[in-house]
Amino acid sequence: MLVEKFFDHISNWSKFWFGLIFLGSIINEMANQSGMFISVPSLYLWTYGLGAMIGLIAKIRGAWF
Amino acid sequence: MNSKNVSSEFSFEKEKAIAKSFSQRFQWEMILIGIGQAMIWLSLWPLVINGIIPLWAGFCIASLCACFAYLPSHESQHGNYSRGNPKMRWLDSLVGHITLITLISPYEILRVTHMKHHAYTNDHEKDPDYLSAHSGSLIKTIKRAADGSSVSDYEKCLEVFAHDKNFVNSYTKAIPIALLYRATLLTLAVIFPLETLLLWWLPAKIGTVYTVVFFAYLPHLGTSKGRYQDTRFWSHWMPRYINHSMQLHFIHHLHPGIGHYDEPKAIEALKPFLQARGVPGADEIPDRITFNPLIKI
Repeated sequence: MLVEKFFDHISNWSKFWFGLIFLGSIINEMANQSGMFISVPSLYLWTYGLGAMIGLIAKIRGAWF
Repeated sequence: MNSKNVSSEFSFEKEKAIAKSFSQRFQWEMILIGIGQAMIWLSLWPLVINGIIPLWAGFCIASLCACFAYLPSHESQHGNYSRGNPKMRWLDSLVGHITLITLISPYEILRVTHMKHHAYTNDHEKDPDYLSAHSGSLIKTIKRAADGSSVSDYEKCLEVFAHDKNFVNSYTKAIPIALLYRATLLTLAVIFPLETLLLWWLPAKIGTVYTVVFFAYLPHLGTSKGRYQDTRFWSHWMPRYINHSMQLHFIHHLHPGIGHYDEPKAIEALKPFLQARGVPGADEIPDRITFNPLIKI
């Protein structure tokens, strides 16, 4: 039952998790490497937050583009 | 063309016998391409991470590998390595699984949905590739392949073929592999973000778009339902080796057992049969398909 719930969650929220983890990691790395946001405190919160937001919008819309 | 109108000279039995003579050879080139591209792709990771080659070069090579990844698995899906020998089926499975790592795609899902594509080509309800082939425009097909809609089409097949136990079993068996791919991708993204983006995710997208355009869209563009009508002979400006000779894909739909690199010779031998049956574009098939006679500028 728990496994089933886990799989249901993964399939329903896959876009959100993909946005948070995958896009968040990439945006975070790009922000760090660019050096433009070096003075921003807790930059990772913004970058991972942006990734999560993109994923959440895609989840609500049902499509990435 | 109705089979009743076709001369007995071009009977299905005769056509099948000729096709069978091209369906015997061991497809060693495909195994080499499938395993080879996967090994090259895998070797890119240590090479890029250790700074031996730049990331942009790794991205270019990985994208090329991804474009070569599907066809060897396609031969596996049709059992064209084992050729009906149960003791050799492991080879179909091995090549099919390994070559698709580059495309982040589970072999069993592609295999069972591809079998349905052959059984129901151009059927808007049952063909899993219908929306990719008949999206209405090349741009729409590219967008569908890039945003994962073509994968969602396969998920919908679970409902359409819910009564087919073999289909459902094979499909669900592959779900843990799909999740493993996803978990690996996300884990690697946290550890090596840009490398994961440019060595795996983006090349897989490019490879998927390439595959969907050349395997699903162009060969079935403007075709209808029916054994001799659902795939066409076509030509364009691109040398055929760049698009895996998909101008000749119609012969694969008629006789899936013909090895990919034996298709040109098979088409030469079967040309009168194809013309008699009214295969779309058959009148434009050249007498000899040698180096590059399919370019149309």
